[in-house]
Amino acid sequence: MKTKEISLCVNGHQYEFSVGKLFGQIPPSETLSKTLRNRLGLTGSKEACGEGACGCCTVIMNGDAVTSCMMLTVDCDGKQITTIEGLADPKTGELDPIQQAFIDEYAFQCGYCTPGIIMSTKAMLDKNPNPTQEEIEDALSGNFCRCISQYHVFNAIGRVVQKGGK
Amino acid sequence: MASTEYRYIGKNTPRKDAKDIVTGKAVFLDDFSVPGMLIGKILKSPHAHAEITSINTEKARNLKGVHAVLTYKDVDQSWKLGWPPQKPILSKRLLYVGDSVALVAAENEETAKEALDLIEVEYELLPAVFDGIEATKDEAPQLYEEFENNVVTPGYPPFQKDGAFWHLEKGDVEKGFEECEYIAEDTISFAKKPAPLAPEPPGAIVQWLGDYNFKVWATSQSSYICKILNSSVIPESDWSIQTFNVGGSYGNKQSMTVQVTSAAVLSMATNRPVKVFQTKVEQMVAYETRLGSQVHARIGMDKDGVVRAVKAEWFVDTGSHCNATQGQVGVGIGEAQLVMAKCQNWDLDTKIVVTNKCPAGIVRGYGGQELNSCLSLLIGRTMEAGNFDPVEVYRKNYVCDGDEYIWRDGRKWKAHSINYTKAINETAAKFEWSKKWKGWGVPTWTSEDGKRVRGVGCGIIGNADVGEDNTEAYVRVVPDLFGDKSHVVMQCNVTESGMGQRSNLAKMVAEVLNVPYELIQLTPPDTVINPTGFGLCGSRGTITYGRAVTKAAEDVKQKLFDLAEPYLEVPTDAMQLENFGVATKARPGKFVTWKQLIPPDLTLTGYGKHTENFSTPNFFIVFLEVEVNLENGKVTVVQMTGGTDAGQVIDPATLEMQCQGGIGSASLDTALFEENIIDPATGRTMTYNMIEYKWRPFNEFPKYDAVMLSSQFDTFRFKAVGVGEIAGASAASACMQAISNAIGKQVSEYPATPDVILKAIGKL
Repeated sequence: MKTKEISLCVNGHQYEFSVGKLFGQIPPSETLSKTLRNRLGLTGSKEACGEGACGCCTVIMNGDAVTSCMMLTVDCDGKQITTIEGLADPKTGELDPIQQAFIDEYAFQCGYCTPGIIMSTKAMLDKNPNPTQEEIEDALSGNFCRCISQYHVFNAIGRVVQKGGK
Repeated sequence: MASTEYRYIGKNTPRKDAKDIVTGKAVFLDDFSVPGMLIGKILKSPHAHAEITSINTEKARNLKGVHAVLTYKDVDQSWKLGWPPQKPILSKRLLYVGDSVALVAAENEETAKEALDLIEVEYELLPAVFDGIEATKDEAPQLYEEFENNVVTPGYPPFQKDGAFWHLEKGDVEKGFEECEYIAEDTISFAKKPAPLAPEPPGAIVQWLGDYNFKVWATSQSSYICKILNSSVIPESDWSIQTFNVGGSYGNKQSMTVQVTSAAVLSMATNRPVKVFQTKVEQMVAYETRLGSQVHARIGMDKDGVVRAVKAEWFVDTGSHCNATQGQVGVGIGEAQLVMAKCQNWDLDTKIVVTNKCPAGIVRGYGGQELNSCLSLLIGRTMEAGNFDPVEVYRKNYVCDGDEYIWRDGRKWKAHSINYTKAINETAAKFEWSKKWKGWGVPTWTSEDGKRVRGVGCGIIGNADVGEDNTEAYVRVVPDLFGDKSHVVMQCNVTESGMGQRSNLAKMVAEVLNVPYELIQLTPPDTVINPTGFGLCGSRGTITYGRAVTKAAEDVKQKLFDLAEPYLEVPTDAMQLENFGVATKARPGKFVTWKQLIPPDLTLTGYGKHTENFSTPNFFIVFLEVEVNLENGKVTVVQMTGGTDAGQVIDPATLEMQCQGGIGSASLDTALFEENIIDPATGRTMTYNMIEYKWRPFNEFPKYDAVMLSSQFDTFRFKAVGVGEIAGASAASACMQAISNAIGKQVSEYPATPDVILKAIGKL
């Protein structure tokens, strides 16, 4: 099999991978979720349902929130990817306003789904800094939260919107 | 003491793991690995009841990267899951779709899955039974030789030390009914076994340590419960168990005996750590659901709206095997008494039944919810017969200080200090109940075109398990190596699974020792590192761990005072803790640091414990307004108001979310759309993934108001009562009541899907 190389830019870092079936290579069947979690150690996004229904594995790809368990890594060649680990300022550690608002509004319980919810929120607010409540709800409708943090999440997003993302 | 006088108690405090949660640094089991770890997978039965007639694992064993393939031939048949021990880890006979046929351990997940496909199995199909009442009939297939008519032996010794408790007999039921003006009798079913559906699937990594000793890393919300229920599977075994942040549990991820023992026998076979982590589909097909509950009951109410007699037979479908369901039955019986606390005449009998369905077990609500969802509808019918306002009836009947009840241990307890009348009144007022309530079967609102109607309902529940089981804690003062301050280490076995309890306990310690909450260090949840702690279940964390850590901190305080006496030259009752030292108001300027008092390189340790006490039941009331579309049968929740009195509230934001949590984890929505749909021909779960199984997305949430009173109940130093567990436990029955009032027809079939509604109004 001809070796193919792909390149992903994750949280500002460039990674080159070799695609193939040999040990250490990325098989064509590998999902982005597995690559991020198992190869790059970016375990913040969770793989919970493995079929794009729960949103726990949400990352941002070229500006869109995507469920990384539904993307094949080989299809992500050349893509810009941001994970939950890439939101805070890498030098100062200062949190993204969304992350800070989630702390300030106590917007999580078990926190397993929270990275996915924050990434969906980030993608939405990047495109639409002044969403209506309905737009917020729709943007998060693919994120499952069973502890019921939804009301506090709405408060957190409201806080960010009110401050103009600052 | 009012909360304004506390430094942390009663105020919102960011959780200690808050930053880790929002940055993705919090570690959950699947983010963790052990050197040399193999991946374990389970070949699952495609049949609901079958016997393996032949099984060939040769091809699977020969696959490169496979380290072990185990069948029933390889695993000790006396090692049995459940209580009483009943079901071998691997068996020749399979009892549900998803039952374990064989186990594989391999280098990676792909190889393990490939190996599963290479195992050749032939089955002889056996007749299966899927209904809890049918299973008890003579003609039903028998699942276990020792369970005649599929009825499980009652009693769970760790919870019932005086002997089995499964049948509440009290007073004279027949005489009780004679005193009643209104009687309702029917069989009500809450048996669709909805899934609590924690986002993080259950799983464990197990390392065999020789003999029958194991090290476990697990997604368990309580490592101690995990230890208890796995210890009875492998005789003379010992388990040291570490947990992580847990991605939702709702009481459901505790013992995980299938995952833990599967990984354990694979680890013994390979001498490597083995991880068994379920996929979401495996979780939804083969992991514990809510209990199936079918109740035939007769409830009588007197002319004043007080329940005077209850006669009931409760069939509890625990699926393929019984993993201490006896405890849930005991609590269910107890919770029924709290709701009908003035009733002196009871005959409430129970049968735990095994069926060819996925195992059912512990879920938030713990039997009480499953029973309440049935009994409440009958209480409602007696109220309707007497034309009583349900709020008035609940107020009259709900347990308060002085009422007696038999709890899950079979012992009589008397309610102490609690009184929830004010909480009932304030929650009703917030919901505007008296304005919305128009009477039984009368909608509160009808749209102009007459196509949509609204109705209201309410439900009540409580649980005395808030004081269950024993727990201990250490608090250590560790002087800093440099400077003259100290750190405080809180050492108790508490896992964070979303309730914020680790942080709440740190607040209590900070309060007692008068140190910044931020400086309290917590040991990781682990059965070896920490003294014994039963874990968080039944909302026990607040009272039991609260008392243990508070007493441990008070012990530290007293020891510091004793040590400070020669320095301060005042009696200890004139001393106070401040700034990591001891001071006294009597002699200003006199101050000694903890570091000076504690010998160099040593620490000062305090000890505290809680012993089981069932005398302070908690309380939660749910009010609902629903809108029913009479054309398509769809029900929408318009308003939900949840009310409680948590004693002293420890952390308002956390408590509010616990209240809101009553919408999730198979609670409210078990009245509307949550159900496991099983193909009656094959026994297979049709709702096997998160697309087929219905759950409430972000854009379908009703308006929610939480009413949280903060009375000062006599529980422990901080006067609090835990409450989260039951926040949704009466929501399903309240919802049925609201629907029935909206459409003017009794609806008693869970869940009230559009076809149920359309049938009720005669359109189907």
